[in-house]
Amino acid sequence: MITRLAIALSWTAAIGVALFLLAPLLVIAAASFSPTPVFDLPIEGASLRWYTRIGRLDGFWPSLFLSLQIALLSTVISLVCGTLAAIAITRGKLPAAGIFATALVSPLMMPGLVLGIALLQYFRAIGFTMTWSALLVAHLVVTLPYVARTMIAGLARFDFTLVEAARTLGCTYPGGIVRVMVPALAPSFLIAGLFSFLASFDNYPVSIFLADVRTKTLPIRMLQYIEEAPDPTLAALSTLILAGTIVLLFASDRMVGLHRMAGTSD
Amino acid sequence: MSQAVLALPVSQPAIDRERLTAFGFALPSFLILSLVFVLPLALLLGVSVIGPEGPTLANYRRLFGTAYYLGVIWNSLRLGLLTTILTLAVSYPAAFALVRARGGVRSLLLATLFLPLAASVIVKAFAWTILLRSDGVVNQALMALGIIEDPIRMIFTETALIVGSVNIFLPFMILPIYAVVAQLDARLSEAAATLGASPLVAFARVIVPLTLPGVIAGVALVFSLSVSAYVVPTLLIGERYPTLATTIAKAYLLAREPGFGAAAGVVLLAIAIFVVALSTQLGREPASR
Amino acid sequence: MSEPGASHLVVRGVSKRFGATTVLDRVDLTIRRGELVTLLGPSGCGKTTLLRAIAGLAQPDHGQVELAGRDITMVPPHRRNVGVVFQSYALFPHLTVAGNVAFGLKVRGRPKAEIEAAVERALSLVKLGHLGKRRISALSGGQQQRVALARAIAVEPDVLLFDEALSALDRKLREEMQVELRRLLQDVRATAIFVTHDQDEALTMSDRVAVMNRGRIEQLAEPRELYARPASLFALNFVGLSTRIGGTVIGSQDGKVEVDTPVGRLSAIGSFQTGASVVVAARPEHLRPGETAGANAVSGRVRSVVFQGSRTLVEVDAGAGESLLAELSGRDAAMPRVDEQIRLAWPIAETFAFAAEARA
Repeated sequence: MITRLAIALSWTAAIGVALFLLAPLLVIAAASFSPTPVFDLPIEGASLRWYTRIGRLDGFWPSLFLSLQIALLSTVISLVCGTLAAIAITRGKLPAAGIFATALVSPLMMPGLVLGIALLQYFRAIGFTMTWSALLVAHLVVTLPYVARTMIAGLARFDFTLVEAARTLGCTYPGGIVRVMVPALAPSFLIAGLFSFLASFDNYPVSIFLADVRTKTLPIRMLQYIEEAPDPTLAALSTLILAGTIVLLFASDRMVGLHRMAGTSD
Repeated sequence: MSQAVLALPVSQPAIDRERLTAFGFALPSFLILSLVFVLPLALLLGVSVIGPEGPTLANYRRLFGTAYYLGVIWNSLRLGLLTTILTLAVSYPAAFALVRARGGVRSLLLATLFLPLAASVIVKAFAWTILLRSDGVVNQALMALGIIEDPIRMIFTETALIVGSVNIFLPFMILPIYAVVAQLDARLSEAAATLGASPLVAFARVIVPLTLPGVIAGVALVFSLSVSAYVVPTLLIGERYPTLATTIAKAYLLAREPGFGAAAGVVLLAIAIFVVALSTQLGREPASR
Repeated sequence: MSEPGASHLVVRGVSKRFGATTVLDRVDLTIRRGELVTLLGPSGCGKTTLLRAIAGLAQPDHGQVELAGRDITMVPPHRRNVGVVFQSYALFPHLTVAGNVAFGLKVRGRPKAEIEAAVERALSLVKLGHLGKRRISALSGGQQQRVALARAIAVEPDVLLFDEALSALDRKLREEMQVELRRLLQDVRATAIFVTHDQDEALTMSDRVAVMNRGRIEQLAEPRELYARPASLFALNFVGLSTRIGGTVIGSQDGKVEVDTPVGRLSAIGSFQTGASVVVAARPEHLRPGETAGANAVSGRVRSVVFQGSRTLVEVDAGAGESLLAELSGRDAAMPRVDEQIRLAWPIAETFAFAAEARA
């Protein structure tokens, strides 16, 4: 009896959570098709006019490209550095490996805002004034922890006997790593890359302090639009970004599986 | 026919080489971490205690000495606490349902968790401003259901702030708890039953303790994130609810008071570090009875 | 001692320590081409370390390893041409069955046609010819085991090493695989070394068995010899059942000793000084009810009679804490009953004396 009640309760909670989480996204999507400049819900008739206006938003294209560039580059660099570090931590004879691993993952829990202002002062103090580069370097700290966390977990699950088997079949040690470990870690790699990219692309608290008048990432621009003149164009833009994210998630699920991204083994 | 065997020890340079490789692998990340994370934060600490005439605690005195800023600190803590408690209350039962779900349903539910995670805070907060407007969906629904007659002011209230905050940080609470619950052995409850425990007792004494690591992780994450939230308070309540985060932003972007902003930043950082350290410590020692 | 020309694998004076523990203690082993040898012993006896030293996955502190005439002591594993079948199979999850089997050949840069032919050959040898395109995750344990074997065989290694390779299979499958594996290896005339702690497996599969204990090979002999003439108390205990009675030597002559035990005077094969502490032992199939002239005989009370199909084990309490174990078959006239008084006799020629070891 109690069990059934508890199960009903948990299902209510789960469905409630799902709807609650989806609500804002659905609203944004609905608002983006509104035929009028006012956010009128329910909407009568759908219109795509706001979508066509995205491109005309002030400073939109440069900030989009900037965000994409920074996200891609920082992800790639972090993937390399983070994976190497993860290998050293799980496999190499690294002293204080546990502490290093915790340190690598710690920025995830730190307020991004504080990191933003710290970097602002720091870069000024050392004379590092090139905004684009500063953004990139800052985003390395944003993305690296995601990579470290995912790759350390993936490597911990990897059976190194596979590399020994490769060696008895004729591979050198590095050869074995490349031919056997890299493919086996591909899913973790993908997840790490996905999380990193999104973390960088969506980042606000660090970017806001390092941007200047000419160099603004997309999230910064968006907040600006919202505070100055919110209209459905922003809803359209948000919906497009959401759609892009859905595609990314779908592709990742196809290749890797959502349950694996949630951190549970299949 | 046997040859005299020279009992020469086979030399082992391999170990040192492995250690060297490990250092080499770890170096790039170490450099990034120390040069772009640790050093800047250390500098921040320094800036917070240096005034125009030398070392001073004036910034901290201002933070902790004035009623206004004490209120600001309390606002941040309150936001963190409320968000954490509410998300936990909902996430805990939801996680169990999520684990019971099979195949397509589970994937669907997981997708509803990941999608908002992948969406920017700005997008979500913006959506809530639309939802909670006087002519927004929520008001319209409430009026249609006959619960209220006139639209109520929801935007720029604490309610809006809390609702939005819970919405943003829910996935961060569910996922760690889900991960732990998913690993539970289904036979544990069965074993408890054969030992005489009713379902309620089995739940309280067997299941709950085992889920604690996930709960602790979720609580630590959500608290430290919501305490330092910037976008959500800015968009959903604005000046009415100053937090440490908005104070920092103002100090840097508007008032040009880097020292003071730095001090506020250090306080925020200290809260986050404290929470993480506490959770790691709690996670390490299982509660004994 | 084998003729030098037929020696295929020679291990000479190999020692290894892990910290303060000596895992291998000056081990010598010579294996002929086409021979199937098992390293048998309890965990910690060094058998796996020895195998890994032969494979190149562990470096001995002292000693040499020679394979097919060349010294491979310093050669890294990927150049030794040694095939290994791991306990966990270690199949590459990102490759198909065929991909796994082809791996070693691909690494050696063989032409595509040759690889395909070799893969087909190897797979049909393990009777998995139809599963080339399968993913590893879709295979059963037994199938995975065969793929691991096919993969190791495909490159035609000089020696095949099996590291407890059958231990993950359930019992019936395991026994089937033992027979099948032996036949397969004999067909391809492979030289192989097995590592196992299962004495039945060792006896089934090997041309010779090396019983290992604490880093040393205590006895290297054919299974029949090992069973009937164990060289030490450890070897006696590790393989097969036995009756063991401790006593003191009171006289010795012509390779036989007379031993005074708590259950009477017994004669055994062995050479010891008078006064030496020994254990007198005999295999259960030699103990028969009744009295025979010139044989060892002991009386006692039947404690248990365990029916095991083709044989029945009878345990007899001989008094003074000693017990006898007899194996009777269906052909024996009458089965004793529990609590019966019984007298068991067995030939002196099948009784052996071993130095009493401090119990490990």
